[in-house]
Amino acid sequence: MAKLTYKMIPEGMLKGKYIPLNIAFINYRDVKACGITPREAFEAVAKTVDGPVGMNIFDPDVVTTTSDGVMVDGTTVFMAAADRGKINPDFGYLEMAEMPYSEQLVKEEPHLIQWDANYKGKRLFRGPDPATKIIPVHNVCISGRASNNNSATEMMNIVTMEEILLPILGQQQIIFDGDVLLGMTGGTMSVGIGMIMPEMFGRVFPTRQFPAGETAHGSGIYAQTLKAHIPCIVADKAILAKYIIRALKAGCVPGRTLGASPAVLGVARAMGIRPDIENMTERALEELASVGCTKEWMLEQVPVMTEEEILAHADTVIPGIDNPTKFKASELVQVVSVEV
Amino acid sequence: MLRRTQERVTNMKLMHTKLPEFLKKMKVAANESPRPMEITIRGLENLSSAKMQSLRTGRIEHAVGEMTMKEDVASIDFVVIPRVPETMHTVIIKGMDKDGNVKHAILEIVNILHPTEEAELLGCDDVEDRRPGIGRH
Repeated sequence: MAKLTYKMIPEGMLKGKYIPLNIAFINYRDVKACGITPREAFEAVAKTVDGPVGMNIFDPDVVTTTSDGVMVDGTTVFMAAADRGKINPDFGYLEMAEMPYSEQLVKEEPHLIQWDANYKGKRLFRGPDPATKIIPVHNVCISGRASNNNSATEMMNIVTMEEILLPILGQQQIIFDGDVLLGMTGGTMSVGIGMIMPEMFGRVFPTRQFPAGETAHGSGIYAQTLKAHIPCIVADKAILAKYIIRALKAGCVPGRTLGASPAVLGVARAMGIRPDIENMTERALEELASVGCTKEWMLEQVPVMTEEEILAHADTVIPGIDNPTKFKASELVQVVSVEV
Repeated sequence: MLRRTQERVTNMKLMHTKLPEFLKKMKVAANESPRPMEITIRGLENLSSAKMQSLRTGRIEHAVGEMTMKEDVASIDFVVIPRVPETMHTVIIKGMDKDGNVKHAILEIVNILHPTEEAELLGCDDVEDRRPGIGRH
């Protein structure tokens, strides 16, 4: 018998925010060290929880892209949902698909110039291959009340209908024992998650459905309300800023080869980089303007900051998240073990 | 005789039962069982006109009857949920004139997530799954 150690956030109140279901974060290195399969790891963890649980196995040794196309270290590569120890055999488990490197792929998805510039040789994972799952569009696992959505970046209890957002960098910080913010998603981030890059086998969309510069929301002034009142755990803004700087230095341009999210626009503005406003649709610009990211704001000449200054002032450079509180990730999770 | 049986089975597969008839059949199966009992039916309230797969209707009727015969069963809770827990729906936004005629319409879609069967079966260990696998209906 081996012992699998992982991190749990139990259902209930967490530092003033409601966590709608139990959440398990498992490091893929630990799964492999135990000599078990990801599914066996999920089954072992599920049996310890007398309620709904969303479960993610995070591989720190691969790379992924955020919804706005920023390449980052590590991602969840296996996801599951269980209720009272049971994983639904048809809908409770999914694996992300590897996107093998090719020059053709980089040509078709130009934000992947970051791969060449910053992560050469790393394996890339985003969402699953649609051919491997039954639910046609949404990358979701459901077992009973537990739902693990959008390739493991959002979880909910479908009976209480309460939800939490878990963007990939927040999960990375939980696995790395780093720094996180716990807050409410708010209007700015609600708009931001619609500013996606077109990707094959993406985390949210299986095909390149929306071109760069477009909004996946397409809901005008209502976009800011879509996730506004949902709690979220995200990486400290300095972590996000570090990765956005890396993407911009690799040559990505917001609105053309990087999603024009308020976070990306905020860092670009501080670096003196002009977004490709001409490539952005009126619908995208309307949604951005509704949270203060107007054309005038994007083009305003502000003193260019150094990288160090941006990291030091990331909380003001990057807009978004309502009433955030900073925590060490270790303050939010319980470290637990199960025999496997 | 064999040919007639085959025809009957084929016809059954092609046939569909009216929704009110389906509801009535389930009530009768519970109310008029040798161990008669109450049945509550949930999950079909939103349907006003629908045709139900006949072959399954018979099997479900039979299953209701079987359940009434279990000694420790006092009533039936009959629940219909989507087999695939994300369903895609068309939304029709109709603009009506003062006489109630449709003058304009916008079609949209909305995907709906539903709990799977585990949410209905918390604490129950005796579950007999008679469903065919997905795609084998």
